[in-house]
Amino acid sequence: MTIAAVIVLMWAVTYPARWLGLNLGRVKLPPFWLAFLNFVPVSVIAALIVPEVLGSPEWLRRLLASVVGGLTVWRSGNLALGILGGFAAYWVVRTLGG
Amino acid sequence: MGPLWLGMLPFAVAYAVTARASGLSVWETQMMSLTVFAGASQFAAAGLFAGYGAAGGASALGIVATTFLLNARHLLYGLSLSRQVALSHPQRLIAAQFLTDESYGMVTVRGTQEPGGPSFGYVLGAELSLYTVWNASTLLGAVGGAVLPSPEALGVGVIFPLAFLGLLVPMLRGRMTMLVALLSGLGAWGLSRLLPGGLVILLAGIGGALLGAWLTSKKTAVREAGA
Repeated sequence: MTIAAVIVLMWAVTYPARWLGLNLGRVKLPPFWLAFLNFVPVSVIAALIVPEVLGSPEWLRRLLASVVGGLTVWRSGNLALGILGGFAAYWVVRTLGG
Repeated sequence: MGPLWLGMLPFAVAYAVTARASGLSVWETQMMSLTVFAGASQFAAAGLFAGYGAAGGASALGIVATTFLLNARHLLYGLSLSRQVALSHPQRLIAAQFLTDESYGMVTVRGTQEPGGPSFGYVLGAELSLYTVWNASTLLGAVGGAVLPSPEALGVGVIFPLAFLGLLVPMLRGRMTMLVALLSGLGAWGLSRLLPGGLVILLAGIGGALLGAWLTSKKTAVREAGA
């Protein structure tokens, strides 16, 4: 399948969720599934991060960068600052040959 | 709105650079921002496309299913918005395309301060301003990234987990959320040694969210029994 076709399919599964929600204003979801939907971003994003860090050949550099980046976001609440801080830490370690 | 636009810019640029590094053309990178328009899922797909078509890499189904799972939360935003703003059927068709975490938050937090509550115009204005910034920043990253040296030389691979970490950290409120994040992450790492990328995210994502929902319902049951 071409990349463009995959992108169209990504759109085809994203738009209906948005549209459906706007049309279901009077419907009540069971608490279990409301909680499930609330936890999905946390579980998926965590699942995206960890293999990219620990499964990488340069995992130690990435782990250090993640610690610095994570702490920066936690203290500052600023996403861009966290990315820059983590990236800077990564380069410090890489330049020093770690 | 200013801080929201500024927050989007580096994220969109980082998405575009990652997508280009994964082998997407400028047009494909831009097309995803124009159609899908959902930051986290675009970034996830950009990462998964790196192994697309290769042995052990993500399949089309894996990428699409991960997108579906990540964007299912938009259902909640729609549910909540439709209780705050009266929208006609054609207005819903339009508003749905541009609905994101940021515009939902904007309308929910600020829209209520508008006289008479948020209107369709207010919702669309918030949505379209974010759409414009997101797509302009995507173009900047997609074109700008092309004149840069190779991704390995720049070390941009680390930006992918860093950007997601920046999204995750503010969500980690309370022990239950931290437990779900930790187990989903470690579970995905374990599974990644056995299964292709797209499937790993899907299984760990569903498993982690089910665990969170189960823990929440158990906690509620205990509280009700105690009352």
